[in-house]
Amino acid sequence: MALISVNGLWKAFGDKEVLRGIEFEIPEGTTFVVLGASGSGKTVLLKHVIGLLKPDRGSVIVDGTDISTLSGRELTEARRVFGMVFQGAALFDSMTVFENVAFPVRERERRIDHGALRDRVVESLRVVDLGDDVLDLWPSQLSGGMRKRVALARALVANPRIVLYDEPTTGLDPITTNSVDSMILQAKQRRGVTSMVISHDIASAFRVADRLAVLYDGRIAAQGTPEEVRRSDDPYVQRFLSLWFEKQ
Amino acid sequence: MGRIRAAFEDFGAQILFAGEALAWVVRPPFRLDQLLQQAAAIGVGSTFIVAVTGLFAGMVLALQGNYAMRQFGAEGYVGGFVAISLVRELGPVFTALMVTGRSGSAITTELGTMRVTEQIDAMESMAVNPVHYLVVPRVVAATLMMPVLSVVFTATGYLGGYLIGVHVSQIPPGPFLEHTKAMLDVHDMMHGLSKALIFGAVVSLIATYRGYGAFGGARGVGEATTRAVVWSSVAILVFDYLLTFISIG
Repeated sequence: MALISVNGLWKAFGDKEVLRGIEFEIPEGTTFVVLGASGSGKTVLLKHVIGLLKPDRGSVIVDGTDISTLSGRELTEARRVFGMVFQGAALFDSMTVFENVAFPVRERERRIDHGALRDRVVESLRVVDLGDDVLDLWPSQLSGGMRKRVALARALVANPRIVLYDEPTTGLDPITTNSVDSMILQAKQRRGVTSMVISHDIASAFRVADRLAVLYDGRIAAQGTPEEVRRSDDPYVQRFLSLWFEKQ
Repeated sequence: MGRIRAAFEDFGAQILFAGEALAWVVRPPFRLDQLLQQAAAIGVGSTFIVAVTGLFAGMVLALQGNYAMRQFGAEGYVGGFVAISLVRELGPVFTALMVTGRSGSAITTELGTMRVTEQIDAMESMAVNPVHYLVVPRVVAATLMMPVLSVVFTATGYLGGYLIGVHVSQIPPGPFLEHTKAMLDVHDMMHGLSKALIFGAVVSLIATYRGYGAFGGARGVGEATTRAVVWSSVAILVFDYLLTFISIG
């Protein structure tokens, strides 16, 4: 059974229709990647999945609940199954690495003692190959790759069932990109999380995806396993993928 | 017409935002550490500048008061004039303007930067309400600290007025102090403090609203900060008139 099910999702900002009837399902424990060019509506789609935006039409069912109809405390409760890694990491710049990663735990378990909290933070950082030497650093002292790792550690620390990634490899060098891909795969293997990744990085998408969708002009031009998408006869998908495959 | 409609929509959104923030004030969890942090930033951080401006405002009042009243041989009333002016008007109004410039702008910039760098979205994605976490402590801290700062302004202002009135303008200290006691009552002090309390809420709600809704990168944050300072200053004077009108009609 699908953990996330998006049905007939429409969204417009003014006269501009950004999403036009998006449909897909993500089974539990799998990684679903949405590929698309810049400005194709990928981030808007991701923000609908976690309820940061409301659709004009359609529904987003997460674990049996239509998240698009919730608000206030109900929506806050529904978000507890999520962790999210933002494109720019979105670390709180007034907090240290420890405070950033500890934040979701502190807010959920307000009586947790400092030792147990520290153990949780260190364990979560270990999953993303960071040691406890970074705990007292400020986000401004971290490299781009390290910021992404800390963001993923923060997303994983509260043991979410679903992790959403917004352009996790944008702006990273090939080695760091590879390591971020490994982190996404490890999060699935070690923690069994269900992942949704938004990306325009084709190599990375084919590396981590169990299923893929290509977003074009507010619609899904093709979706399926990486191999099925690769064989799609949609002209846009062919054009989008061809440059990369030619390079290979 | 479009701009007028947008202005009304903006005003309506500000009112709704204020309502949401005030509704969250009474809901747990109560983040005392956040509140103290903000109280220190807004209150302690502004004390020096408020004290300095208060001192000079009081000194100017004494000079102007003496200049006007000596024409009627009423120099002894300068103490009362300085005290009434500071307690009822200049204390709360100048303090609110100083806090707007110093802390209001900082609040808008901080929240605006958090908005455009998706830190507020990140907070929401972690099932934490950003209005509750970010806005409430700032609004409560500003509302509580504004009367305290207003008292600091008034006290240093009166001290400045006394120094100039007695030691420069040679007004005898007896009449200066006696007329202060005679002219000032508890009602005046309550009037000044309630103004400061309301200004604290108004300034912080405008500053947080502008920062929370900022968009468009660094330029957008800059515009939001400018609007926060301008509208807070206007709101202070409008509320000052309304509260004075209600008080003495």
